[in-house]
Amino acid sequence: MNVTSVSDAYRTLAQFHENERLIVWLSGQPWVIWLTPERRKTILYCGAIVAGLVGVFSHDARWRDYHSLAPWLVHGLAFLLLLAILYALYLATTNFQHLPPMIRRRPLVLFHLLFWLLLAVLWFSAGSGGFIVAVLSVIALSFPYLIWRAGYMLLSGQRGKAQDSRFRDHLFYIWPIWDGTNTPPGKGHDYLSRAVAHTPGSYARAILGGCKLLLLVALWRLVMQLIAAAVYGDPKSFFSALLHGYSLGLPRVKQIVGGQVAVPLVQFWLSLYLELIWETLSLAAKGHVWVGVIRLCGFNIFRNTYKPLLAQTIVEFWNRYYYYFKELMMECFFLPIYARYFRAAPKLRVIAAVFAAAFVGNMYYHLVQHKEPLVLGDGDKLWALLGARLIYCALLAAGIAISMLRQQRQRSLSPVAPPSNWRKLRRIAGVWTFFAVINFWNVISQLTIAERARLFFSLFGL
Amino acid sequence: MDLDQSKQELIDFLRTIQRPDYPHAAIDEESGLVESGLIDSLALLQIVSYLEQNYGVDFSERGIDPEDLRSVRSIIELIAREAVS
Repeated sequence: MNVTSVSDAYRTLAQFHENERLIVWLSGQPWVIWLTPERRKTILYCGAIVAGLVGVFSHDARWRDYHSLAPWLVHGLAFLLLLAILYALYLATTNFQHLPPMIRRRPLVLFHLLFWLLLAVLWFSAGSGGFIVAVLSVIALSFPYLIWRAGYMLLSGQRGKAQDSRFRDHLFYIWPIWDGTNTPPGKGHDYLSRAVAHTPGSYARAILGGCKLLLLVALWRLVMQLIAAAVYGDPKSFFSALLHGYSLGLPRVKQIVGGQVAVPLVQFWLSLYLELIWETLSLAAKGHVWVGVIRLCGFNIFRNTYKPLLAQTIVEFWNRYYYYFKELMMECFFLPIYARYFRAAPKLRVIAAVFAAAFVGNMYYHLVQHKEPLVLGDGDKLWALLGARLIYCALLAAGIAISMLRQQRQRSLSPVAPPSNWRKLRRIAGVWTFFAVINFWNVISQLTIAERARLFFSLFGL
Repeated sequence: MDLDQSKQELIDFLRTIQRPDYPHAAIDEESGLVESGLIDSLALLQIVSYLEQNYGVDFSERGIDPEDLRSVRSIIELIAREAVS
């Protein structure tokens, strides 16, 4: 067997989801034919009710003890109220043109203000207890998950693409069966409507695409087990016994930044790079599960993570690392600023939009994510969780802005020859270094900002 | 407004911002510009500027909908809608 045939065999195996014979066979299966887009949507709609109930009832042991109130009543009423809020938002979405101009212009801002109004009510009623406060607390705890998803519904209304949609066309991605973080994989109505498989053939393609991602999940988790054993010496890894306990014994970055271990400079740098690889694999594995399930449901959507470690620019890495988070930041922060401000100053326009997304948006998203201290109004806890992230987001935004402006400048110059492999490697190494270094500020630690800064500068021998 | 002429001008513009490693093949009217690899997502911003300068599209009122910039066809439809309004 020669190299070409080995390469062809690998390609056939790796690209099984594009094998036309397999697609034709699968699209002829009775269950694939039976699962029409409408039937799939009905199943997802029923799944949304279940996912919503599970989600609401999972918040949170401390509210259940509220003066011995019946927890099912608190959570049950919170669920019904959330459903009513979502329905009201749906009505606003489908009748968007009839809303007052102020709402039409900034629907997301006003929606988020409502959330902050709810939080303010809870802060001022702290300690008062009672049934209503308990219900409002469960609603507030549920909001961070729903707020971005419902935001996509409002955006759809603002863009005039939801007039004829039904409630069920939105509810299934607001309380999706594929779960995920507060970031909505698959975005919202507009994107999913375009990605839906309409025929058995296209559904078969989506299913096979989903299966491929789920197989990749298994592969990435295997690689992570190997890294855990060989690099970090994790005894829980099943490779640990195979390696007879041998490992490089490198610490995780959180151990270094947490002050638990002190390591020589070379090990510090190695830990930073390996952390980047670990985080990328971990996110890829999680994202492939969400997108894999969405594809199995018949939506042929983009991957969440697509080869970020091969990115040659910072912008490209950000685009490929966590695609749906980047899209969320783009649509909610970058594009509104880019559309409205500094049209006469192109560079400033880009810088302002990038900082709106990568700094303000990124910080705001993570502030809302820490829902429990937020609902309790625990400012000290929030600062401990997010203080260092301010520096992370500022560095990220600066890196992206510089990278974008450089790309724009290069684009405006006359075409140059494609870079050599050596130059590509240098670019990739530069991107790795940037993200490995700024990730130092993304790790939660007990150290103060000043202590962290000293540790950070020690990386550069300062 | 001559939409055929607008389409040709748009395609000529896309040639100036396409990725350097993308083959100089015919640009499909329906294909996603970013999805097909013709341009990167950064180039969408240049399309926004192109539409503002050449067709007077005002995104400050309506916002930028990435779906409007997805393909040659969707951009031409946007230009046509702007011309009507």
